[in-house]
Amino acid sequence: MYSAAQTDNTVSIQNLSFSRGDRKIFDDISMQFARGKITAIMGPSGTGKTTLLKLIGGQLCPEQGCIVVDGENVHQLRLADLYDLRKRMGMLFQSGALLTDMSVYDNVAFPLREHTRLTESLIRTLVLMKLQSVGLRGARDLMPNELSGGMARRVALARAIALDPMMIMYDEPFTGQDPISLGVLVKLIKTLNSTLHLTSIVVSHDVQETAAIADYIYLISDGKVVGQGTPEQISRSESGWVRQFMRGDADGPVRFHYTDDDYLEDLFHTEEQ
Amino acid sequence: MLYVLQQLGYVTRQRLTKLGRGTFFLLHVLTGISDILRRPELLIRQLYSVGVLTFLIITVSGLFVGMVLGLQGYYVLSDFGAEETLGVMVATSLVRELGPVVSALLFAGRADSALTAEIGLMKATEQLSGMEMMAVDPVKRIIAPRFFAGFFSMPLLAALFSMIGVLGGQMVGVGLLGVDDGAFWSQMQAKLDFSDDILNGIIKSTVFGFVASWIALFEGYDAVPTSEGVSRATTRTVVNSAFATLGLDFILTALMFGDD
Ligand SMILES: Nc1ncnc2c1ncn2[C@@H]1O[C@H](COP(=O)(O)OP(=O)(O)OP(=O)(O)O)[C@@H](O)[C@H]1O
Ligand SMILES: [Mg+2]
Repeated sequence: MYSAAQTDNTVSIQNLSFSRGDRKIFDDISMQFARGKITAIMGPSGTGKTTLLKLIGGQLCPEQGCIVVDGENVHQLRLADLYDLRKRMGMLFQSGALLTDMSVYDNVAFPLREHTRLTESLIRTLVLMKLQSVGLRGARDLMPNELSGGMARRVALARAIALDPMMIMYDEPFTGQDPISLGVLVKLIKTLNSTLHLTSIVVSHDVQETAAIADYIYLISDGKVVGQGTPEQISRSESGWVRQFMRGDADGPVRFHYTDDDYLEDLFHTEEQ
Repeated sequence: MLYVLQQLGYVTRQRLTKLGRGTFFLLHVLTGISDILRRPELLIRQLYSVGVLTFLIITVSGLFVGMVLGLQGYYVLSDFGAEETLGVMVATSLVRELGPVVSALLFAGRADSALTAEIGLMKATEQLSGMEMMAVDPVKRIIAPRFFAGFFSMPLLAALFSMIGVLGGQMVGVGLLGVDDGAFWSQMQAKLDFSDDILNGIIKSTVFGFVASWIALFEGYDAVPTSEGVSRATTRTVVNSAFATLGLDFILTALMFGDD
């Protein structure tokens, strides 16, 4: 079913549709994520970027279309096979999703202890290496509730790379980082990608940082792909939508509001009641 | 009228789907036993927090319930000059009914509500989905150990409750009201039957432990992932496991002690 040209994609999404209640989040979209490359997904808040990552991870089921990860159709796998596939995927949650009853150290060690039979001393070495790479080796004895939002996200990143997965999905890794840790994270994502040949999917609002490291960018809005291409192509795009989003102008075709029923009419409605 | 029927149908359907989900959930939890056999330390940790930490409330309540039984029993029995049988009365009511039922109710308040809140909060803070994405099945890793901990500790706690209760009854009856110590124990020994009383009590509390842990964990797992959702789920756990305990107690009592 899949032609040879598609096999160099780690993730391939075909004609995907998905709704939450009556709201159509995705309407027949197709995307490809090339192996060993960094692909960015951008779009206004609430368009469904997190939802897309959860669909790829098999936590939500699409209404139509299919998602193929590493040659396997995610939503037709048996549960055991899905868990096997997930061992090869890392995911950085937008909220961090650290286990709150374990220390930072145990959080990063968690996937290693669950899935490998490494000795504790080897695990210690690995955990300290991962924590060092996100600059938090000194914070290993803290509990998650003692971390700041930015720190928690970096711990979550260390945990996501603990098993050396073949692909990582980063859900807004740069939010809440100071300029220095932001620079470190950008470099880390780039390094991980080039040294380990990871396939990276980065969801982010930070246009500059993302454009600097991404090999390919998808812009999504209202359930559709509204722009795609390499960062150069995107920056040279003729589309008014793409230009507005990348420059952050307030006026233009991008909707800032959740729904577009008339503002004045909505105000009048309350008076009627 | 039509509206009422509509609502009735809607609610019934919702309850039934929830029951269905709950059943699948239970089956999933039960498959977790293989993981627990491989890693018993997970179960032991939960036995501590579910079982051991409930010890105190069970002990204290058992003591007082037993003491009250001793008092009340003495007043009634002494009217008939039968205060020698106080031991039988205290022990039978504890082992057959009060031990399993009261400790299950206390357990629902102390341990089950905590389980629901814990699981619900883990869901609300995405810890459960985070675990799924790390290829760790939260139902097996987090929920199954808690389920079996509740299941195993309930009969033990009920037994503890009955034992302390009997001691409480003896303290009041013999120590305070002057019932003969030898008669208290020997009557009890003669009248209490192992399979009729003790075994049935154990069966009851095992059933209660099973159902209460199931309710608590499913309510947490199925909670709406918000603070309000979790608080509602916690309330539902306490209410539902109390109802389930009392309802099942009636059924089990009818089945066990019906025909003799
Ligand atoms: N559990 C849910 N139930 C119902 N609707 C939801 C749920 N989660 C998300 N949504 C809706 O799905 C849409 C997409 O949500 P999603 O979290 O994927 O957005 P996002 O693109 O990641 O936004 P952000 O950039 O702010 O993180 C939103 O409009 C939201 O209202
Ligand atoms: Mg998001």
